[in-house]
Amino acid sequence: MAFSGNFMCTSFKKELLEGVHNFKNSGGNTFKLAMYTNSASFTAATTAYTTSNEISGTGYTAGGGTLTRVDPTTSSTTAFTDFADLTFSSSSLTARGALIYNDSASGDPTVVVLDFGADKTSSSGDFTIVFPTADASNAIIRIA
Amino acid sequence: MMVEGGKIHTGIVNVHTTSNRGFTPEEVAARCLDRIVKVSESAPPAIRDQALAYKDSLRQVLTHYMREAIQSDRTTVYNALLDAGQKELAETIRRL
Repeated sequence: MAFSGNFMCTSFKKELLEGVHNFKNSGGNTFKLAMYTNSASFTAATTAYTTSNEISGTGYTAGGGTLTRVDPTTSSTTAFTDFADLTFSSSSLTARGALIYNDSASGDPTVVVLDFGADKTSSSGDFTIVFPTADASNAIIRIA
Repeated sequence: MMVEGGKIHTGIVNVHTTSNRGFTPEEVAARCLDRIVKVSESAPPAIRDQALAYKDSLRQVLTHYMREAIQSDRTTVYNALLDAGQKELAETIRRL
């Protein structure tokens, strides 16, 4: 298997209705971003963080990096939330994609699968995941 | 009455990497500015030009203060190394 685009996990949609996830900046859950090789086999049916095919390298520890939450907001009829860019400093790693998951919730449930489009590599440098513009058309998680 | 809507979407992330160096103040400032100032493609030309000019003036201010923060942090590291008896290493940091 390989990465095949960005998608939201189906279990996440259900868990939103169950109140499992809290994205508020203050008092919200801890969301983490873990990175994977192109051997990872994620689908919309993926429900939880896994160490299978997770990358390893200098500057990266299993489980990935903790994301800084930005308060959810609205624009017109669309609600959206955002995260601050995440940098793995002084790192030497290669990753093809990532998984955002809720580290606070039981079982580390997944949120979204992110495809970088190609292998991305840092070599004794910085590896930064840049989140899209936080608006109704581009934000990382949007409910229209 | 039926109401359309209720779709849930995910955005697209970009990945920026470096080799054998960190990001420069200019590179970080560019990312920072993209978060602070958003200029719509469909904005009237006069407003768009004004917004872009404002964005550019902010870029210069941000870059300047990022450099100042880097230099100031090096002073902190320099002193930490001196306190640890690493005089040569401290001098290398100071000269960066």
